[in-house]
Amino acid sequence: MSAATPAASTPDGASTPAANPAAEGPSSNTSAIDRMVLEYLRSRGHKDPEKILEEIERSATPSDDQGKQPETTPAHSISQEELVKQLAIFAQKPANPDENALKDGTNVLQELSTMGNPQNIQNLISSIGPVGAEEILSLDPTDKHQGFRELQSWVDGSLDMYRPEFRPILFPIFCHFYLDLVQQGFREAAQDFYTTFSHSLSPIHQTTLHHLSTITLPYHVQTDEVAQRFRSEKYTVRMSRSGFSLLIGWLTEGFGGEPTGTGEGFSGDKGKRGRAAIMRVVNNHLRFDVTSSSTTSVSPRAWEESTGFLSSVVPQTNGSTTDASTYNASKGELKLGPAPIAEELRTETERTLRDQALVDHDPGAQYDIHYARQAPLTGLVSPAISDLPPHPPSFRSVDVKREVEKVRDARKRIRYDPSVLNSANANTPQGAAVRARALPSICAYTFHDVGEGVPCCEFSPDTSLLAAGFSESYIRLWSLKGEKLKGMRSDFQTTSIRDVSSLNKIREKGGSTTRKLIGHSGPVYSVAFDPVGGSASPPRYLLSASADATTRLWSLDTMTNVVAYRGHQNPVWDVKWSPMGIYFATASRDRTARLWSTDRTSALRIYAGHLSDVNAVGFHPNSLYLGTASSDGTARLWDVQRGACVRVFYRHDDIVSTLAFSPDGRYLATAGEDLAIRLWDLGSGRCVKKMTGHTASVYSLAFSAESSLLVSGGADWTVRCWDVKAAGGLPTKARENGATVNGTSDEHPPEKEETTENIETYASR
Amino acid sequence: MNKQAPKARPAPAKVPGIYKVDSVRDVAESLNLPNLPDAVASALASDVEYRIQQVVEEAARFMRHAKRTTLTTADIDQALRVLNIEPLYGHFPHNPPAFRRALPFPQMQTAGSVYFVEDEEIEFDRVIREEKISMPKGVSWTAHWLAVEGVQPLIPENPPAAPREIDPDSAAAKTSTANGVSGSVFPLTPPSSDRPSPIQSGKQTQQQNVLVKQTLSRELQLYYTRLTSSLLPPTSDPAKRTAALASLRHDAGLSPLLSYLVHWVGEGVVNTLRGGSQTETDGKLLEVYLDVIAALLDNQTLGVEPYLHQILPSVFSILLYSSLPPSNAIHLRTTAAQILAHLLTHYSMTYPGLPTKIVKTLIVGLIDNKKSRATHEGAIRGLMAIGKEALRQGLVNRSGARTVGEKCMPGESSQLVELVMDGLKLIHPPSAHPVPLDPNSSADSELIEKLHATLGDFFAERVVSDAEWARGILSDEASVL
Repeated sequence: MSAATPAASTPDGASTPAANPAAEGPSSNTSAIDRMVLEYLRSRGHKDPEKILEEIERSATPSDDQGKQPETTPAHSISQEELVKQLAIFAQKPANPDENALKDGTNVLQELSTMGNPQNIQNLISSIGPVGAEEILSLDPTDKHQGFRELQSWVDGSLDMYRPEFRPILFPIFCHFYLDLVQQGFREAAQDFYTTFSHSLSPIHQTTLHHLSTITLPYHVQTDEVAQRFRSEKYTVRMSRSGFSLLIGWLTEGFGGEPTGTGEGFSGDKGKRGRAAIMRVVNNHLRFDVTSSSTTSVSPRAWEESTGFLSSVVPQTNGSTTDASTYNASKGELKLGPAPIAEELRTETERTLRDQALVDHDPGAQYDIHYARQAPLTGLVSPAISDLPPHPPSFRSVDVKREVEKVRDARKRIRYDPSVLNSANANTPQGAAVRARALPSICAYTFHDVGEGVPCCEFSPDTSLLAAGFSESYIRLWSLKGEKLKGMRSDFQTTSIRDVSSLNKIREKGGSTTRKLIGHSGPVYSVAFDPVGGSASPPRYLLSASADATTRLWSLDTMTNVVAYRGHQNPVWDVKWSPMGIYFATASRDRTARLWSTDRTSALRIYAGHLSDVNAVGFHPNSLYLGTASSDGTARLWDVQRGACVRVFYRHDDIVSTLAFSPDGRYLATAGEDLAIRLWDLGSGRCVKKMTGHTASVYSLAFSAESSLLVSGGADWTVRCWDVKAAGGLPTKARENGATVNGTSDEHPPEKEETTENIETYASR
Repeated sequence: MNKQAPKARPAPAKVPGIYKVDSVRDVAESLNLPNLPDAVASALASDVEYRIQQVVEEAARFMRHAKRTTLTTADIDQALRVLNIEPLYGHFPHNPPAFRRALPFPQMQTAGSVYFVEDEEIEFDRVIREEKISMPKGVSWTAHWLAVEGVQPLIPENPPAAPREIDPDSAAAKTSTANGVSGSVFPLTPPSSDRPSPIQSGKQTQQQNVLVKQTLSRELQLYYTRLTSSLLPPTSDPAKRTAALASLRHDAGLSPLLSYLVHWVGEGVVNTLRGGSQTETDGKLLEVYLDVIAALLDNQTLGVEPYLHQILPSVFSILLYSSLPPSNAIHLRTTAAQILAHLLTHYSMTYPGLPTKIVKTLIVGLIDNKKSRATHEGAIRGLMAIGKEALRQGLVNRSGARTVGEKCMPGESSQLVELVMDGLKLIHPPSAHPVPLDPNSSADSELIEKLHATLGDFFAERVVSDAEWARGILSDEASVL
């Protein structure tokens, strides 16, 4: 196409209208061309070239100056390619006004080239190719206006059953038309086009549309990433066979698909050119994925899901573009079961538990280690030890302690069952008891006197420490147990340290219950405590990720920075430990996620493929897989060891900013700027449901220990609880601190059956 | 770049964008490039705007990851850094400079405007006089329960529960009156400090007086206006008023409104009384105010105590005012007296000076013979409601009865007289078979003298007929003394 749009692709061509008056003055070259033009026209039998020119000018807008005639202004300088294109119009117009420009244009060019022109024009003509003539017709900005309006009214007027599948084609055509107009230099026309039509598309494509609206110069179209994606990639639209044939029928004949009487088809010359413009976009930039399934059997959401730049969002398999579900299916089964535990560690844990049960004189205490571990869910394949990323073969006492504590925790755990809320009336005394069974207690921590903000904070798994990362580049630790946080003195002889007591001697004196960790040189966006101690013993390490593109490891024994992991070129947005320690993953603005181990300063794996920032990472509970959430509206699941993408979760309407795996390993929850929380089934890669209710961006997600309850927090100052297992749809009643909120079923009527209202909302200040 | 805001881009003017061609030309001139062609300038302006948008889009990512919804200069700095552009130095997220526009030559519009950073002049005098703010002690945290077993506890840290519909049966009435705002669509957006609270028009006077200016959430503001409009004017629908009062009596989460409500009552009472208050409506009005006070006191979730010193004057005013509308006077005074009694029983323990204060005020109203009869009446009612001892203090010990008696015509039987007699009966019940005091017996004559001295001639005459009663009134006095 680039060769076919010479007028637009060169800045010269675009700014010709403005440059014309300034560049007055005849040159021998142009006069030669003029002579050649007149000669040619006469040889073709046109007695009155001026008249033809007028005719063309009438159909064009005044702002369009393609009809500038070389004959009447002989001194006028005009680029050669421009001229040739104009000639093409002259040539075809009177001869065959109703026929496609293509054929005739070719003839013209052939004739032109046979006429023995100067060599440079010859070259030009050959480079323009046969499409050049057609391209000129698209230069009238009002065509696009007209064409899009008719397309829109056709889509809106189509039968209800077809509308969901037709609607997605509006957006790419809109974008291409807008970019075309900008590229051809019709800035005002583009602006006009944008303001006229963008509002109907804005609910879903807000971000992209806003970005496009900032593009106003042809040069921007060349360089802007979004614009280039539209230009170079095919936008996939899925359609049913019957829908597709209706669309083709409408494009070629001007009617079809709409209820009788409403569509008049394309009328007039302008209408035809509008249709041609749509045709061009459809031919060049759209890819239709025609399914054989009938229109009614596909849910409206499925149409939407298989729309977009699938070829780049979804990794290509065997060189062919597929949609997300096909891709996910092609990647085979995942091992989503709980991670195995080493035999020795298991025996040791059981022994310890048994011993403790004897000491406590509690023979009824259950010491079976399986008690803590959920029975593998049916249908989930459990990985073998060999599948896991390598870990030290031996275990330490801290591991035993952790496993023992895990069993104890499981015993003490309250099992939330949100489904009981549906059957109970909240106002009765029993209702209160039911609520207690279904809903958690939440303790809110508020930071005071914070200067520029706290982007992140984290509690240690044993709840002994609280860490917060600050915009002012430091991390602050608080001991929640009121213990003093002591580091080590730096003035000591290594030879003097022999045992624990000598080590304690070099501990700092005094100290307070809070401590500042200084090392980063940019806002700290994420902190993570190491999970090795579990809930049994305090963590020994802390990881932090910052805008200075480093990830740092802090020792909580010495209270110092031990390692700075460099590798990302851009701010690191998120860092997470693997569930068993040693490994950790980072997410960065450089569009990659990386896997590291604490003992190496360079990354072990780089997970590349996202088209925009990776905002969050998370390990699957069995540490075999890594989830990433990106600004390109997708979340992906990667095989940690192979570094390959195994699932694509497509799609959110906007940036995905956070994710959480359910502890049972079956689901992934993602949320972001589109205010919806989506629950994905990892095995199939399908969206289980979409949960709406938040009124501002969602910042964090967390599952309850038995995966029955999902809690989300967001910028709307609320914490919301969601029932994971509920089938979706509208529950019988929504309770929300006295006031009933209508969910968002009003805003998303087509998705009603997938919308789940939250079961409880806690507003905070 | 607030993403929450719906992107309703208003149709831009013909010259698109915020960065104007003129600005480009100004820059060009400053770089010694005069006569920049229009086309170049407009292309540059578009390009500059595109670059600005790029930077802003980049900065928005930093904003999002900092979990903020306002873009700060720090975000822009970060964005410039990752875009490999030198950051702009000298801008800090605290105290963003506020640019102001001025026309250098107001008479010449074409001269264009000049932007400047406002530099406030600080007077040393004021700075020295101002309260010194101590340094904050650094970053700290507090914890509170946002929810306990699925229920949000009503503690000050949590936002007040979203106002419920005041009463199911009045819901319909309320929605119909709310102009344009239907009753059930309160969006559950939490209160925020950045949401300005336009104080209702009727409260301008209050702005000067209320010391603690609280920021009210929109919901509470709505609630407040609806509440006050359904309470007043008193001629309005009684069902609505009952519902409003019931809401005041039972609803939780009204504490932020309390100071406003108390103030509203105070103002209302003062205004009504000042206006002469002889009409029926005024009486009704006062009745409503008293009802509101009673309802507030009844509400278990409100901490009324800090506002008692503001509530008391209103109650006293109604109780002791000289010219209440005659039709309601008795009812008003009785209610006010009951409120006083309620206050005493509930708050005398936690508010140490309260009983003394109340009793003293009432006694002063009773024994000051310059006060009108109505005031005396109110004082007696108040004392009666408070209790026997207070009444004895006023009527007998401090010779309240004598003061009243001096103002009465001999043989008069007015309401006031009846009231005093009731009071005396309350102090000591008269005997079922009255035996008159015998003026001949020495003990009795002494008693009669004493009666005349304490109660005054007028009431002594009436008590004399019952020896036991008279003894009771006086003897208890002795025991008290």
